Amino acid sequence: MAQYREERLTVGGIETAVFTAGEGDPLLFLHGAGTLTGFDCLLPLAERFRLILPHHPGFGASADDPSIDSIHDYVLHYLDLLDELGLDEVSIAGLSMGGYLGAWLGSYQPARVRRLVLGAPFGLRVREHPTVDLFSVPDQEVLSYLTADMSIFDGKVPLPPTPEFLAERYRESTSWARVAWSRPYDVKLPKWLHRLTMPTLVLWGDADRLIPVEQAAVWAEHIPTAEVRILPGVGHLLFDESREALAAVGDFVAGSAAVR
Amino acid sequence: MSVPGEITFYLFHHHHYLDIPLDEDRYVSTMVDYPNSLYDPVKGHAFYQRHLRTLRLADELGFDGIAINEHHNMVYSMTPTVSVMAGALVAATERVKIQVAGVPVNLMYPNRVAEEYAMLDVMSGGRMEFAFPLGTGMEYWANAGAINPATARARFRESLEVVLQAWTQDGPTRYDGDFYTYRFLNPMVRPYQRPRPKCFIVGTGSLETVQLAIDHEMGYSIVFVPIANQLRAFDQMRELAAERGRAVDPDDLMIVVMAYVGDTDEEAVREARPHIEKFFSWFHRVPPKYLVPPGYVTTQEFLRRVSDVAMAESKKATWDDMVAIGRIACGSADTVADTIASWCEEAGCARVNVVCELGDMPEWKTVKNVTKFAQEVIPRIRAKSATAGQRPVAAGVS
Repeated sequence: MAQYREERLTVGGIETAVFTAGEGDPLLFLHGAGTLTGFDCLLPLAERFRLILPHHPGFGASADDPSIDSIHDYVLHYLDLLDELGLDEVSIAGLSMGGYLGAWLGSYQPARVRRLVLGAPFGLRVREHPTVDLFSVPDQEVLSYLTADMSIFDGKVPLPPTPEFLAERYRESTSWARVAWSRPYDVKLPKWLHRLTMPTLVLWGDADRLIPVEQAAVWAEHIPTAEVRILPGVGHLLFDESREALAAVGDFVAGSAAVR
Repeated sequence: MSVPGEITFYLFHHHHYLDIPLDEDRYVSTMVDYPNSLYDPVKGHAFYQRHLRTLRLADELGFDGIAINEHHNMVYSMTPTVSVMAGALVAATERVKIQVAGVPVNLMYPNRVAEEYAMLDVMSGGRMEFAFPLGTGMEYWANAGAINPATARARFRESLEVVLQAWTQDGPTRYDGDFYTYRFLNPMVRPYQRPRPKCFIVGTGSLETVQLAIDHEMGYSIVFVPIANQLRAFDQMRELAAERGRAVDPDDLMIVVMAYVGDTDEEAVREARPHIEKFFSWFHRVPPKYLVPPGYVTTQEFLRRVSDVAMAESKKATWDDMVAIGRIACGSADTVADTIASWCEEAGCARVNVVCELGDMPEWKTVKNVTKFAQEVIPRIRAKSATAGQRPVAAGVS
C-alpha cells in the first residue's frame, strides 16, 4: 500500500500540511471537521490517483489561523493551494465539512473541478431532516453520532481520553465553530449550486446519525448533474466505515463505472 | 501593608431561583439546558419580592452599595436582563450605590448597553457603577447562534470601546469596527456622572482582562478563583499600572466574599454550611462542556484545565476545599471582620462585594446575616482601618 509523503507549504501565510500519495490524475481530498481517525483509510485511492490530502488550517498538522472564519475563507485558501501546487484542474472529493467546502469551491470555479464527490456534506438547511447540532451533543455521545461502526475508533481514541487528545479535539472544534457555531449551513448555497456543472456524485450512508441521508435528495434537486449513491448501514464517517464508499469515489472520479 | 483605608462594602446579590425540585439528583445541570418548565412564575414573583426586600434592607442598614449581575438560562440567576432589576432598585432604594455587574456587553448591541446604563445613572442621580464581564461560557450556549464564542473576546474589547465612546465623546461620532459599525453614535441620554460612572472589568485573573482594565483605566473585579490567583492578578494590575506611571487605587480592586455572621463561630457554621454547600452543589451544577464552548478559551488554556485532575473529574468540592480556595468568612462578627480585614490587607484592596444570601438560605437567615454584617462587621472593620497600621489578626474560618 502506498504511503503518504508530508510536505509543509506556506499558503497565504498559513503553514499548511499537505499529504500526498500515489501517481496519476490529481484528486484533492477535503476532510471533515476533525482528524481523529486519521486518513490511512483513503490510501487505496492512491493506487489509482495522485491523492492530495491537505489538513485544513486549524486542524491536524496545519497551523491555526483565527482569521479563517468562514467557509469562503477555506475556499479561497484552497484556491491558493491549487495555485501553489500548479494544478489547473483537479477532481475533488470532500467529506462532511469538506463536502460543504467542495460544493462552494466548485460553484466558484467550475472549470477547475473535473469531477466532484460530496460525501455526507454539511451546508444545506433541510427543515424536515435537520442536521444534528453536534456542538450541543453531550461529550460522551459525540462519537456515536459520527459512525455506525464504533470499532473504527479502536486504537485511535485513548481510553480514558488524555488531556492532549481532548485539547486537540477542542482545537478542531474551535476551528469548526469559527465557521459553523451559528449554523452549519448557508441559506445562500442552494442559489448557487446550479453552477456545479461537472459530474457530481452525492454519496451518503443511510445510517448517518449526524446529517440525515434524506438530505441527499435535496442536494440532487439543486445540482443539475448530480448522481446519488446511498450506502446501506453506513454512518457519517463513510470512508472509515466502508470500502465500498471508497471504491465508489475511485470509480466515479475515474469516470469508469456506472454508479447506480 | 495595612488595612487599606475606607473599605467599602457592597451587598452582592445573585437572585437565585430558590425553588429546588425534590428529585434534584435527576438533573446533571442547573444551567443552559435545565428545563424551564420547572420555573413557576408565581413562585418567581414571590422571590423577586424577597430579593427586593433584601436589597432594600442593605440600603437601610448602611451598606455602601448593592451589586447585581446577569446570567442566562440558569436557576443561579433570575436577572437575565439585569438593567430591568437595576431600574427597580433605582426606585426602591434611596442612598446606596448600585453596581450593575453586568450585561455581557458583547452579547448585546453596545450602543443599547450605553443607553440603558446612562438612563440608570441619570434616573438614580449618579448612583451607578458598572462592571463589564465577558460572560461565562454558559451565556454563549444560551445565546447560541448570535455570538460566536471563538470571537467573543475580540468582540468584547470592541463593544467596550463603543460604550466608552458613546459616553465620553461628544456625538454624533462614527465607529467602524470589525463587529460593529455606527454612523451616528449619539445616544441622547448621557451618564449623570462625568466623564463616566466608575467601571470595573470582571475577570478570573487572566492577563488579558487585567490588561483591559489598565487600558481603559477601570477597576478590576475578580470572581471566584483560588485566592493565590486573585493576588497574582492584583499584583499584575499594580505592575502594569506602574509601567504607565500610575498607581492602582485600592478602591479599584474588588474581591468577592461569601460571609455569614452568627453570635458564635459554631452557630455561624451550623447555620450557613448546608446552604453554602448547596450553592456549589446545586446552583453551580454544570457539565464542563458548558463552561468552555469551543473557542471560549485558547487550546493551551483548555489543555491546562483538562490536565487539572480535580477540574477534569468534576470532583465534588468538600467543605474544606471550598474554604481553602474561596473567600468564605463564616463566624462571629469578630471572626468575620478579622478575616475580611486580613484579606483586604493581603490583597491591597478596598472593595468588598459581600454575598450574604448563600444558596438556598431561608429568608430569616438572609435578614439576620445582612443585619449583623451591616451592624456588627462593617463597624469593626471601619474601626480597624481608622487605626491603620495596626495589623489585624487573621482568624480564618472555624
